[in-house]
Order: sequence, then C-alpha cells, then structure tokens
Amino acid sequence: MQKITLTTILFFLVAFLFICQSGELNAEESTLTASQILEKCDDVINAPTDQDLRIKLILIDKKGKEKMREMSMLQKGNDKRMVKFLSPADQRGIAFLSLPDDIMYLYLPAFKKVRRIATHVKNTKFAGTDFTYEDMEAIRYSIKYVPELLKKEENHYVLQLKPREGVKTDYSKLVMWVRMDNFYPIKIEHYDKGDKLYKIMISKKIEKVNGYWVSKQYEMEDLKTEHKTRMMIVDVKFDSGLSDDKFTKRYLSR
Amino acid sequence: MKRRKIILASVCILLFCFSCILQAQESTDSGVNWGGYLQSDNRLRLKDGDFSWQEYRLDLKAEVSPSEKAHFYSELWIRSWGFSEVQNSSDLANKDKISPWNLDLREAYVDLYGFLLDNLDVRIGRQRIAWGTGDKLNPTDNLNPDDLEDIWDFGRHLASNGLKMSYYLGDYTFEAVYIPAFTPAVLPRGDWASALSPSMELPPGLTLKNLTDTITIPENSIKESSTVGVRVLKNFLDYDFSLSYVHGNDFFPLAKKIIFTPTDMPGDVDIASELVYPKRHVVGGDMAGTIYDVGIWAEAALFFPEKIMMTTDLTALGMGVHESTALDNEPYVKYVVGADYTFRNGIYINGQYLHGFIHERGKDNLEDYFMFGIEKKLFEDTLKPTISGGVEVKDFKDFKNNYALILSPEIAYYPVDNAEVIFGVRWIEGKVTTAFGRVKDNDELYIRVKYSF
Repeated sequence: MQKITLTTILFFLVAFLFICQSGELNAEESTLTASQILEKCDDVINAPTDQDLRIKLILIDKKGKEKMREMSMLQKGNDKRMVKFLSPADQRGIAFLSLPDDIMYLYLPAFKKVRRIATHVKNTKFAGTDFTYEDMEAIRYSIKYVPELLKKEENHYVLQLKPREGVKTDYSKLVMWVRMDNFYPIKIEHYDKGDKLYKIMISKKIEKVNGYWVSKQYEMEDLKTEHKTRMMIVDVKFDSGLSDDKFTKRYLSR
Repeated sequence: MKRRKIILASVCILLFCFSCILQAQESTDSGVNWGGYLQSDNRLRLKDGDFSWQEYRLDLKAEVSPSEKAHFYSELWIRSWGFSEVQNSSDLANKDKISPWNLDLREAYVDLYGFLLDNLDVRIGRQRIAWGTGDKLNPTDNLNPDDLEDIWDFGRHLASNGLKMSYYLGDYTFEAVYIPAFTPAVLPRGDWASALSPSMELPPGLTLKNLTDTITIPENSIKESSTVGVRVLKNFLDYDFSLSYVHGNDFFPLAKKIIFTPTDMPGDVDIASELVYPKRHVVGGDMAGTIYDVGIWAEAALFFPEKIMMTTDLTALGMGVHESTALDNEPYVKYVVGADYTFRNGIYINGQYLHGFIHERGKDNLEDYFMFGIEKKLFEDTLKPTISGGVEVKDFKDFKNNYALILSPEIAYYPVDNAEVIFGVRWIEGKVTTAFGRVKDNDELYIRVKYSF
C-alpha cells in the first residue's frame, strides 16, 4: 500500500478548499438575479464619481465614407452629463446638457442662447451620429428598464431590458450582453417600437483605467441605414472632483 | 469734482479688471482659437430678373480662454457688399464705390467668471444679450438694437457696448445689464424698407415732391441714452421661467414734427419731418418646457411707452398747425406662443403665433402673425428640404383686404463637412395694408453658400 505523505494530504486539502471556494463563487454567479446583474452592470459603468472624457467620433456611411467629429464630455454620478462639440467647425461650440427628470438644454453659439430641448428630440440623431439624444443621456439602465435574464453564455449573461412603466423611450426593448467577470456590457441590441432590431452597440477595447473598467471604443450601427458611428475615447480622467456647477446652464454657454 | 471722482472710479475698475485678466493669463498657457465662415448670398427677383442682393461675408471669430476665470471672444464681419456704386468718372478712382465693402464688429467682450464673488460672472464689452424663449421673434429681447438690414434674417440684432452681470443663487439666476449709449435699429436695405413704413396719407389735393427728415438721437447721458435691464430666471416644476424689466429707448424712430412746404408747382409739397426715439419701460416674462413630448414656449412683453405728440405744420399752406398723438402712453402687450415636435420619421415641425411684429408699437397697431416651418433631413443628413412661411393678419374682421402670405421652400445640401449650399424661393402675396403685402412684388430666388473653418 502506497504511503500517504503529509505533502499529499496538504495538496488534497488545498485543492478541496479551492474547489469549494470556486464552487461558492459559481454558486453566487449562478444565483444572481437579472436585477442584480443589471445593478452590478450600472455600478461598473458608473463607478467613477465623475468622468472627464475627450471623444473622437467617426461617422461611416454604407459606402465606407467617413466623417470626423470631436467632443468633450463631462459626467457626474449617473444623471448629469455635459457634451461640447470641438469639431467640425460648423458645430464647434454647440453644447448639450442632460439633467435628471428628462431636462435637457442645448447651447447654440450662433444664437447666443441656451434653449430648452423638449423630449421629442430624444429619438433624433445626436449631431448626425447613430446615437440619439436618448442614448447620450446619463441614466442608470436599472432605473429605466426591467431586466430579464434570457440566458447564460460561456462568459456572458444575456439580459432583456424592457422599459419600466411611465418611462419615455424610443426603444421597445434592449438585449444586453454582460461580461461575467467584470459585469461590463459588451453588446446592446436596440429594438424599435415595432419590436424590430434596428441598432447594435458594441463596446470594444475594454480596459481598466485608474481602477475603473472603461470601454475605449463603442460602435453603434443603424441596421436600417447601414450607417455606423465609432466613438473612441481619446483621453479620460476619473474622479477629478468636478463640481455640480459644471452641470448648469451657466457652464453650458461658456 | 463729482465728475473727477466718477472718472477716477471708472479707471480703477478698468485697471482692476485688466489686472484680473492678466493674472488669469499668467496662470495658464494662452492660445487663441480662430474660426469663422465664408458665406456668399445672392438673390434674384422673380419679377424682373434683377439681382436684388449680393453679399460675400467673411466671418472671423477669435476666442481665448486663458484660465477657468477669464474668456475673451470677438467676431468680425468683413463684407464685400452689394453692387458697384459708380455714378461718374471721378467715382472710378474710389475703390469703396467701385466695390463697396464694410467692416462690422459683431462682438468683442471679456468674461470674468467668479468676479469678486464665486457666483458672479461679468461680461464687459460689445455683446449680444439675447433674452426670450421664442424662436427668433422675441418681444422681450429689448437690450440690443434690431438689425433688420436683411429683413429675412429674423432675430438678428446689433451687439451693444455694455456690461452684463450674472449672479447664480441656487436655482435662481439674476442678471443685470447696463448699456450706456443708445444705438438705433438698422432698417432694411433697399425697397424692403417699405415693408416697415406704411404709405403717408396727404391732405386732399397735395402731392409729395421731396421728403427729408432729421433724426434726433438721445443725448449721450446716463439719463437719456442708457439702457438698463434686469432679469431673474428659475426652473419651477420642470418649466423654465423668467421675468425681466428693461428701461431704454425704442430702437425705431417716430415722427414728432412734420412741416409741409409748397413748391413752385401748385399742389406739390415738400415734407420735412423730425424723428425721435421715444423712451419706454418694458416688463417681460417667458417660459419654456414640454407637454407630452411637445416643446412649448411663451413670451410676453408689456410696453409702457412715452407719449409722443406729433405736430403737423401746414402754416405755409395756410392750413395752420395740427397736433395729434403719434404714440399714446397707453400700455400694450406683444406676445408669442409656440410649439415644436419631431415625428418618429424625422419630420420636424415648428409653429408660432406672434402678436406684434418687431417694429410695431401702440395698442391699436399690433398685427397677428402665424409662422411655421417643416423640415426633414434626408440621405444621411446630406440634404435638408424645408418649407417655412407665415400668414400676417392686420384685421380678422376684414381678412380678405388685410392679409399677407409668405411661403419659402428651400433645400439645403451638405456636400462635405462644414459646407452648406442653400437654394430657395421666397413667395409673397397679400394686400398693401399689411407689412409683407407692401413688398409682394419682391418674390425672389436665393442661393447661399457657406463654408465654416
């Protein structure tokens, strides 16, 4: 009979503990509800207290012709966002402010005026991109949508998000692929009011910057027009202490 | 002594302002951002095929933000303007007559953010202060003179040299404006001016031979030429509201005295008139918000005008002197209400009802205007057809003799980024009793090309 050494016992003990722990983790993952997954997803996306981004947009038509846009974006928490266009020249200075409760303002330098935007523009394209004003709003998915776990893939959860009652949105539903390891959404399908798939957003180059997960490249494709917008984050700063004052009409026109 | 103190105080304030700017500039690396556009605008009369407008405009903007606390902005128009004005051989040596051009300093100001107090922003210099929530037609926008040079460029104003202070307190914004000198409005060029001037009614048997006028600009003093304005803004129940008050002079002149002089020809008269700019107080209010996804806005201004009596001197005709009221001091209200909406298919519609056009004043002289616009972007935003227009009604009771219609279909083409080509038609129909009816023969085609840089 083979002699069982102390080393062997220790090896099996460690292996047993490891299996138990990973089993516990898997059990936790497998027991997560759709709401918990979406909450975690929101937490990951909105983890920084504030974000200061410089973004390059490439608009690609169905023939592959490209147009460039540049903008800066400030976000605080998950309900305040300010976007300013830096280029092209005919859009330079146009600024957009999104606040809680569907309050949105637009600053048009040519008119020297801050204009309140009505909610009907939410479903229109934001400066010719495939993102709508609604897509540009800063809001937690879990506040706007009721999630349902459709399936689990090897590395992803697949959630279906349907608008909560009373929420104004142009989408009948979203289908979202969420990474299991870090809860970052990698793909979102957008369905129109007729329940037809019409836009797909894919997050690429997902990296950890200053301890926060961030996608450095998004691509939104409009399947009807075969038009794409690639949004690339050129520069990013997190937790720089942006004050609430930055998200006011006062700063919008600066 | 008192005057010396005021000058000394002004110099101190200016020195302090500039030291703030310099201090701000030292704090960070300063870089000037240049931009602007080149625009050509050509119009052709449909009736006779004559060119009615030719403008080549180079817009230059310079902007510096040396720090979070300071900002400089300027905008200049350099325009090659109109047609050759050569009338005789000596004019051929005058480049201004051969090829007219002009410079127009649209704005030039300095912003000082957090000036003395964290929540106080100050803007000093030549500036446009646009008040009101209406779409381009704003009864409460009474600080800058109207610039009606191009009557179709609704909402265009001259900038004014002045000071604006904005104080932010919680949800409230308080604004105060001081403009020391009076600048009159710019009236429409060429025969468009007739839209704003009703035909003069002469006593029976008289024919006008020559018309001359003299304008009295308010004296350059704090009391006579200054415009002051205050406004408070607040968001309440998700609607934006503001209340405002402006005291200054009307930007459009009004005849105070008319003198009739007979000429050598029996029945012909020369008329000399004296024009003034009446004082006025304006109390305004506006709001903007959303009802069921539809954008809505409303704006009203209550005018308290100075009473102006008009003297008609017919003594040279042996008919004595008559006095009448040119402008009563009875208050009157101008207002605008409007809404806009974007349909799911991308069609955008906008409608406004306006009571009292820009130049109209006096309770009984305000007309009604219904304006609309419909547009949709096509072919990945490279083409934008628009139909806009309006109806002017002078008297609902006798509509068929007191209306004007304006219809302007246009198409904008965006061939590349920053470039815009607009081709359109302006069609006017109506009765001469109305402002636009008086220019009903001015139907025109227009083509505008713009490139931004």
